[in-house]
Amino acid sequence: MSVRMLNKRYGSVAAVRNVSFDVAPGEILGLLGPNGAGKTTTIECILGLRRPDSGAIMIDGIDALADRDRAKLRVGAQIQSASLQDKITPRQALRLFGSFYGTSAKAGELLERFELSAKADAPFDTLSGGQRQRLFLALAFVNDPTLVVLDEPTAGLDSRARRALHQLIAGMRTAGRTVLLTTHIMEEAHTLCDRVAILNEGRIVALEEPDELIAGSNSKVIFRTARPLDSAQLGSLPHAVSSRAGGGGWTVVTSDANRTVVGLVRLVEAGGNELLDLQIHRPSLEDVFLELTGRPLSAPEEDKESGPS
Amino acid sequence: MNPGLLQHFLLTLRLNFRSRQSIVYGYLVPVFFLIAFASVFRTDSPLLLPRMGQILTISILGGACFGLPTALVAERERGVWRRYRLLPVPTGSLVVSTLAARLVIVASAAALQLALARIAFHTPFPAHPLHVLLGFIVVCLSFLGLGLLVAALAEDVPAVQALGQCLFLPMIMIGGVAVPLSVLPSWAQIVSGFMPGRYAVAALQSGFDGSGAGHAFDYLALLLIGAAAGAAGIRLFRWEPGRRLGRRALIWVGASLLPWIAVGLAAGTTGRLNPPPAPAAYQAIGDRLIASITYDDLPGDNELATPLAPPFTDGGRSSGMDVFAGKLKDWAPGHVDDAGQAVRNLICVASIADLAEDPREGVIARTVFTYLEASYREEDLRKALAWVALYPNEGTALTMAPDLGFVRPVGEDFVRERSALYARKFLGRLLGRIKAP
Repeated sequence: MSVRMLNKRYGSVAAVRNVSFDVAPGEILGLLGPNGAGKTTTIECILGLRRPDSGAIMIDGIDALADRDRAKLRVGAQIQSASLQDKITPRQALRLFGSFYGTSAKAGELLERFELSAKADAPFDTLSGGQRQRLFLALAFVNDPTLVVLDEPTAGLDSRARRALHQLIAGMRTAGRTVLLTTHIMEEAHTLCDRVAILNEGRIVALEEPDELIAGSNSKVIFRTARPLDSAQLGSLPHAVSSRAGGGGWTVVTSDANRTVVGLVRLVEAGGNELLDLQIHRPSLEDVFLELTGRPLSAPEEDKESGPS
Repeated sequence: MNPGLLQHFLLTLRLNFRSRQSIVYGYLVPVFFLIAFASVFRTDSPLLLPRMGQILTISILGGACFGLPTALVAERERGVWRRYRLLPVPTGSLVVSTLAARLVIVASAAALQLALARIAFHTPFPAHPLHVLLGFIVVCLSFLGLGLLVAALAEDVPAVQALGQCLFLPMIMIGGVAVPLSVLPSWAQIVSGFMPGRYAVAALQSGFDGSGAGHAFDYLALLLIGAAAGAAGIRLFRWEPGRRLGRRALIWVGASLLPWIAVGLAAGTTGRLNPPPAPAAYQAIGDRLIASITYDDLPGDNELATPLAPPFTDGGRSSGMDVFAGKLKDWAPGHVDDAGQAVRNLICVASIADLAEDPREGVIARTVFTYLEASYREEDLRKALAWVALYPNEGTALTMAPDLGFVRPVGEDFVRERSALYARKFLGRLLGRIKAP
C-alpha cells in the first residue's frame, strides 16, 4: 500500500497534511500520535470512509480514490466506534459480511481461527469485550484481504486478551499480509510493528523502525562526584549535548552514552575527584514520542480529530 | 445485485422477530387498534368493513413513523452503519434493503389484521383485493419515505419518538385516519387535506367497499409527498453516530413539506375538501356492498333488543296500530326531502320505542316496516336501509318523537346502534335473506 501527499481539512482545521508512506507485504506499520494528530482521518481516507482533499492512495495496485469499491474488496478493517446489532450472532455476522464478498462459507473456519466457536450462536450483547474484539478481527478477514487496517485493536482489553490478540496480529505478518495499525500502547507498537510512523498535528514527524528511532534519540548520564565539577568541563565531554546540575549531582544529555561515560571517568580521575554514583538512562519509544510531539501518549482516543459537523 | 443485499434483507427480518419491542409495536399494537375499532364502531355492518382503510393506514403509519426510524437510528448510533460503510456496496443499497424488509414487516402485520378481522369479527375479505394491494404498496412507499426522513433527522432513538409523534398524532386525530372525517369539524376536514393520512385511507378503503381503484389524485398525492420526504431523507442520511446536521437540513425539510401544501391546495381548489353532500349519501350504495351485509348475527325478533312482531294479517287493526300507522303517515320527519334521512327517521321511531321499552315496541317496529314497504320504491328502500345499516353514524338520529307519543329522549348512540340493527332486519326481509319463521 502506498499513500502519497494526503491532505484533508475540516473547515479551517488541517487534519492531515502531506502525509506519505508505504507499507510492504508482510510488514506491520504502526501509526502513533496524540489525540487529534490525524491518525483516524488518515485511516478513514484509506478505507474510503472519507474523501481526501488531495493526494493518492494505491492498494494492491488499485487507485483507491478512483475505484473505491474495487479497493474495498482487498481491504479488511477493524475500526473504532463500529458495532453490531444486539441480537446478531457471530456466525450470522460472519455469514452476512462474507456474503458481500461471496465467502460466507468461510464463517466456520474464521470462528475456529479466532476462537469463537463456543460462542458462534450467542447474541452479540452477551459477548465479552475480548470476544467482540476477536469477532471484529474475524470480520476484517472475511474477504481474505491483502491489506488489514486495525484501529486500536486492543483498546479496552485485559492483558491476557491483549496477548492473545498480539499473537493473532503477529500471525498476519507471517501470512504475508500488509498491516496498518494504530495504538496507544508503546509496548504494543514496539513488539508488533516493523516500523512506526509518528504523526503530530497532521504531519508525519518520524517514520522508522522502533529500535532505530530509539537509537537516534538522546540518552541521559546522571552522576554525583565527591567534589564539585566545573560545568565548562562537562561541555567538553564526547557526544554531550547539554548538561545541568540538580539533586546534588549532574545530568548530561548525550547522543552516545557509552563514549560520554568513558570521557567522564577520565575527566574525574584526571582531576583527582571521585565518582559516587552513576546511572545511564536510555530512551524508550515513549520518550522518543514525547520528544517528537511534546505530548505523552495518553488513553486510547475516539475519533476526535475527524468529523465535520 | 450483490448477494449480500439479500442476506442483509433476510437478516433484518430475522433480527426484527428477535426483538420484543418490535413484536409489541409491530404486531400487538395493530391488533389492539383492530379490536378497539371493532368496539368503537360496533354498529358497522359488516363489522369493520368500512374501517379497514383506517386500520391499515394506522399500521403502516406506525411502522413508518416509529418502526423503521427506530431501527435505523438505533443501528446508526451503535455504529452498525459505520461498519456497513466498509462493505464494497453503496450504503444506499443497504438502506433500500432495510426499507424492503420493513415493507414485508408492515405487510405481515396487515395480513394479521385482515385474518383476525375475518376470524374474530366475520369481516368480509376486500371486494377488490388487487386494488387493496396496489393501495397498500403506494401508501407504504409514501409513509416509508416519511420514515426515512424521520430517521435522518433524529439525533437518537428518543428523538425518533418525538418526531414520529409529530406526524402520527395529527394524522390520527384530525387527519381522517382514526377519527372519521365525517365526525370532524369542518376546519379539521380542511386541515386533513394537507396531510397524506386521508388520501391513504381513501386509497385503501376503495378496495374494500368502494368501486375498486381509488382516485388517481389519492395515489398521486401520496407518491408526491413520499418521494419528497424520501429524497430529503436520503440526502440527509447519516451513516456515522454522533454526526450533527447543519442548516441545510432545514432547507431539505422545508422542501419535503412543499408537496403537503401543494396537495392540500390542489384538493381544496378541486372541491375535494368539501363535505360530502349528505342527502345523496344513500344513493351511492352499490349492489355489491348491499350483498356484503350479513344477517346471521342479528338478535331474534322476540329478544329484548330490536323486537319485531310478526306481519299483520288485518292491517294492524286488531292491535290498535292502525291509528299509529295513520299518525306515522302524517309525521313530518318521515317526509324530509332526502329519502335516505326520511327512512332513517322512521327507523329511529322503532328504535326509540325499543329503547323506551314501550309495551308496543314489537308492533311499532312492524308498523314502521310495513309503512316503509308501502311508501318507497324497492330499489330506493334497499339503498336507504343499507345506508342506515352500514353507516350508523351518518345523517341525523332522532332521540324522541313527541308527535308519536315519545316525549322522553333516549341516548343518541343507542338509537344509532338499534337503527342499524333494525335496518338490517328490514333489509334482510326485503331481500328474502331472512325468512319468516
